[in-house]
This record gives sequence, C-alpha cells and structure tokens, in this order.
Amino acid sequence: MNRRDILIGAATGAAGIAALAAAADSALAQQPAPAPVAGGTLDRIIKEKKLRVTAEVTSPPFGILDRNNQPDGSEIETARQLARDLGVEIEHVQVTGPQRIPALLAGRADVAISSLSITFDRAKTVMFAPPHGALSIVIAGPKKVRIRSAADMAGKKIGLTRATLEEATIPGMAPPGTNIVYFDDIAATMQAMVSGQVDAAGMSAFAAKSVGDRNPKAEIENKFTARTAFYAAAVRPGDFDLLQFLRTWVFLNRNNGVLAQIYKKYTEVALVDLPVL
Amino acid sequence: MKYVFQFGIVWDHLPQLAAGAWLTLRLALGAFALGLALALLLAYLRTAGPKPLRAVIVAYVEFIRNTPFLVQLFIIYFSLPAAGVRFDAGEAALLGMSLNFSGYATEILRSGIEAVPRSQIEAGHSLGFSQLDIYRHIIVFPALQTVYPALASQFVLLMLGSSIVSAISVNELTGIINTLQSTTFRAFEFYFVATAIYLLMALCARLLLDAIYWWIFRRGRPAGGAWAR
Repeated sequence: MNRRDILIGAATGAAGIAALAAAADSALAQQPAPAPVAGGTLDRIIKEKKLRVTAEVTSPPFGILDRNNQPDGSEIETARQLARDLGVEIEHVQVTGPQRIPALLAGRADVAISSLSITFDRAKTVMFAPPHGALSIVIAGPKKVRIRSAADMAGKKIGLTRATLEEATIPGMAPPGTNIVYFDDIAATMQAMVSGQVDAAGMSAFAAKSVGDRNPKAEIENKFTARTAFYAAAVRPGDFDLLQFLRTWVFLNRNNGVLAQIYKKYTEVALVDLPVL
Repeated sequence: MKYVFQFGIVWDHLPQLAAGAWLTLRLALGAFALGLALALLLAYLRTAGPKPLRAVIVAYVEFIRNTPFLVQLFIIYFSLPAAGVRFDAGEAALLGMSLNFSGYATEILRSGIEAVPRSQIEAGHSLGFSQLDIYRHIIVFPALQTVYPALASQFVLLMLGSSIVSAISVNELTGIINTLQSTTFRAFEFYFVATAIYLLMALCARLLLDAIYWWIFRRGRPAGGAWAR
C-alpha cells in the first residue's frame, strides 16, 4: 500500500461516515412511516395487523428462550397479551439489554416491553406507560463473600449488566474503592459471579434466585436489597396514540387480574399493588 | 419523528474515550508482540520440528482459526477458573488476543518460510551457518518481508477485533462506548464517534506500518535487484 492509497482510503472512510450519519438521520426521520391522516403508529399497527415488540431473551424470568428456541417469559407473555388485546399478530424483535431503547428509537420495534424500569434518564428519551410489574434489585454473591450492606462493597469486585436498573442504582450507592465491572448481558454477569470472576453482582431478585437454583454448589445468596422499582412498556416520544392505548390496556388488565396472573406464573411471587403513572 | 443529534455529550466524555482508545492500542500492540513471538517459534517448529510436534502445531492452528474468538475468550475467562486458573479480565483479553493472533500469524509465516528458495538454505549450510543463523538470516528475514503486508493487515484486524473483549468487562474503546451509550442513551452519537476513532486508528496504524516496512526492508538497499518490491 502506498501513501496515495491511504489518502484515498481516508477520504473514502470520512465520506462513508458522513453518508452513514446522513442515512441514519433520514431513516430515523422516516420511521415510523407516518400515516397520512390523524393517528400514527397505533393506526399503522391495526392496519398492518402486526405489532413489533422488543424481546430480550437473556433475562429470566422476564425473557428467555424455551426448549424449542422460542421466546418465553413474563414480558414475552405480556407482549403476547397486548397483541391479543389489539387483535394483531406479534413480531418479536430480539434485542440485548443495551439495545432495548435504541431498537425502539430506531423504529425496529413499535413498543419496548422488556422489563424496562421507569427512571428519569430513560424518561428523557422514551415515553413510559403505567407500570405492569415490579422488581427488586439485589446484590447477590456466594455465601463466603462477606457483604451485608452497601458500605461492605468497598474493595470488592462487583459485576453489573450494562443498561439495566442495577447499573443505574448500584454505582451511586457504592462506597469509594468499589471495583465495578460491566458485562453486556445478564448471562455473562451471572457466569462471572458463579465462576468467581467477581465477588458479587447486582441483578434482579428473580435473576439471583434463578442463578442460585441452577448452581446450588455456588451457594448464592442475596446480600441486600438495593432498590425496588416498577417496570413498564415504553414507546417513542410523540407516539401518544399508542401510549394512550397502553394506559387503557394496563388499567383493564390490572383490574381483571391478567397482569397479576402472568407475573405469578413466571416469577412465583405475588404481584404487589402497582402505583399509577 | 426526527432524531436530534447531540454531540455535546460525547465531548464531555472525551477523557474516558481517550483512555479506552489507549487501552485498545495497548492490547493490540501487546497481543501483536506476544502473538508474533509465539508464531515465529511455532512456524519454525511447524516447518523444521519433529513430526509429532508438527501435528500438534497444525491442530493448534486449526483450532484457533476455526473457532470463534468470543468462545476462545469465554473459555479463558469463564471456564479456566473452574480448573483453578484465574486471569482477570485484562489478562484474559491479552492472552486470548495473543493466542488468537499467533494462530493466524503462524500460518502467514509458514507461507513466507515455504516461499524461501531451497537453494538459499542449502547455500547457507555449505557456508557453515548454524541452524539458528540460517533460520534468522536466510529464512525469517526474507520470509518476514514477503508476508509483511499480510501481517500488517492482520494487525489491523487484531486491533479492530479487540472490540470483542468488552464482552468480558474490559474497558477498552468499545466497552467504554457501550457503557456511555447505555447510561446516556445517546447510542447513535457514541457509535458514530467510535467508528471514527477506530477508522482513524486503523489508518494511522497502516501509515505507521508502511513506514516501518520502509525503514526495515528498504532503507539503504540499492534500488532494484533482489530487494526490489
């Protein structure tokens, strides 16, 4: 390769980035294809008879792959219920935890139903429906690791999953000297805890129970509860028609007990009283 | 809906991005040095070692080149602790990248070594060179020149491929970018910037590698003749 090639390469690369930015910009500007008349995403969903929902399948008990490699879990079942109530087909858009909001914003999904806890930061980029479930974030770890409160995390290596509620909660309460490391999905965080690569890890109480049940030898226990939060469906900013439908949908399914039933089936815990958003 | 780009937030995190890029560079250079050293040894044994050893090296190279890097990394980071061998994330990343690179580099060097004419090696023997001197001066140096472009490409691949080690919690450029985008929700801005940084690093690496080639192999050599490119 000579110098000219490199200059050409640099120019091509720079042009490529600019083109990429422009393409993403226009793609975003076009999606979702706005309906010509009043309404928008909701009308399109009903017209196309298809609802595209994010499906995070590495986060038990909210989303997993069953023995036939099909999505399953409480949030998957919730999404199916929403599609049933809309009278449309469902399309599961598989995402990893960190992709949940980007996939929604990029128009790959119409609604995100992937145990998204309601937080200020997220509310700046997406619109939340009223909560349809609750979860506790705990610090879990092997019995031999001595942690009783947040202060005991000093000097310990704590694993967290990116783009989760634990990532939004734990760093703020960790004392100086806590070594926090990040993984891309909860499966990797669990594996790091079980193999001893981290002393303890932050995750939902359900995830901690699930990893403890599957690895009895590791003697995983909950050290302390960091926070209890409520999760909800999220839509793109501006999709008020879809948001209003979701509000109505949560109201009806909370009153008829369907939400509590789904929650109990997958988490083996009774659903607490859901606050109103 | 129109997405509003907000690049301001990216500049707020410039020190973290720089630290990530620096770690990416260090990992790539470290793995290149370690991997190449291992590959030089393996390539030598692969061509001149005893038969059973050659078979082992062939198996090693095929294993490295025919399994996903991510899986190799997971074995080192998640599975080896079960056998009592524990590396922290940075060590596991460096080890994984070095081993992975050595697999490809061994194969590249082998092709270069086999391209050295037999008669030159025989000439070395008849001039009384030791086996090591023959390997150093007659085989490796010209072989390195022959395969230099391939090795240089492989280095760039190694540097870009290092993004995978973020999966085991290493805070190199991709790890930093993933954490930042997941806490700020400015995925597009951060990924664009990451792309630009990687592109810049790759192009700089190519320029530098070109200069090194010239410095090692061309400097002071007469134009044309045996050293012509």
